[in-house]
Amino acid sequence: MRSQPLALLLLCCAASATLAASPAGATRSAQFARLPDWSGLWISAAWKLGISGRPAGNEKELRANMQLLKPPPYNPAWNSRYEAGLQDTAMMAQKNATLKVCTRSFPALMEAAWQFEVATLPEETLLVFENGQVRHIYTDGRPHPSGDDIWPTPLGDSIGHWEGDTLVIDTIARDASEPLTPRAWVSLFSDDARFTERLRRADANTLEDQLTIDDPVSLVHPWTVVLRFTRVTEMNRMIAANCVENDRNPIVDGRMLLTTP
Amino acid sequence: MSTHINQPAPSHRGRGPWMALGMLALAASAIAHHSAAMFDDLQSVTLAGTVKQFQWSNPHCWIQVLVADTSGPVEWSVEMGSPSQLYRGGWRPSFLHAGDPIVVVIRPMRDGSKGGLFVSATHGDGTPFGGASK
Repeated sequence: MRSQPLALLLLCCAASATLAASPAGATRSAQFARLPDWSGLWISAAWKLGISGRPAGNEKELRANMQLLKPPPYNPAWNSRYEAGLQDTAMMAQKNATLKVCTRSFPALMEAAWQFEVATLPEETLLVFENGQVRHIYTDGRPHPSGDDIWPTPLGDSIGHWEGDTLVIDTIARDASEPLTPRAWVSLFSDDARFTERLRRADANTLEDQLTIDDPVSLVHPWTVVLRFTRVTEMNRMIAANCVENDRNPIVDGRMLLTTP
Repeated sequence: MSTHINQPAPSHRGRGPWMALGMLALAASAIAHHSAAMFDDLQSVTLAGTVKQFQWSNPHCWIQVLVADTSGPVEWSVEMGSPSQLYRGGWRPSFLHAGDPIVVVIRPMRDGSKGGLFVSATHGDGTPFGGASK
């Protein structure tokens, strides 16, 4: 009986060695070898958070850094709605006062204050965020689904391909009812919006995402912003965040409170 | 939840809260877990007291501070960032214990409740925590 575990171990080792030495194993190893190394923890460069969990450089600096808060190049009809929305200060104030964010839609997720890791596999690239959200970008050559196989979702449907060390991502079917990002409450796009990203490592400690939004329904021309991410050096592992463990900020009668334990 | 739960300190060496005006930035709506509109970022309150409890928890860490008042100790809740954010800023769960003297500067709640947003903190003798008090 004692020899069974040893025999099993030897069998596994032999199988593993056979796989690695096989043509299929060699092909897969070569596929991985062609992928860039984006390991580590990354976070949006727009956020420089202090111990308070708030922007160290205050709200003004944050607003200047956040690319998705800039006004989109809307056509006249959409711009009228956009400007009218900005003038609705009561609505804006109420949304800001009662805002609680546990997840974000795309592309807001790419400019959130959450760390993320990038796992580059031959078949897909995964962007894994500390709040638990994951972007799946399929790079195996598949097209977007069609017909009843696709519907609007907060993150949309993403496929991609590699151009050298740049991952080119194509995203459609993003839920058009979602504002572009929290605080840009009136930055909306149509169901036809298409998002193209060129994600690459600009230097050893910087990832760069050139994001172009093309929406003939709402925009006069495609709109490009560049999002940057810096390598997190103060910690070497992802610590999952969540909103439920010790939430002491209930919203009561339209106001956010602070409770005592 | 990884919290540090301690008994209330037997003595409270705080001097009571005092108000100090701060000239800071615009209306708060920064977004971490929730809006900061509930905090008055034109005001600063300095709490000098003792730590009742340090909650190292998501979505926010908290310092419960007991501040001496004429009618007895008053408990204040000080909201901070997430454990991940504090860790990156050099803080650790072991930094605070029940009974530790502490001086905390906060942006107070607009509704007057006993709480606010963390700005900075020092030990009772004025030294910073782990070199990262901001």
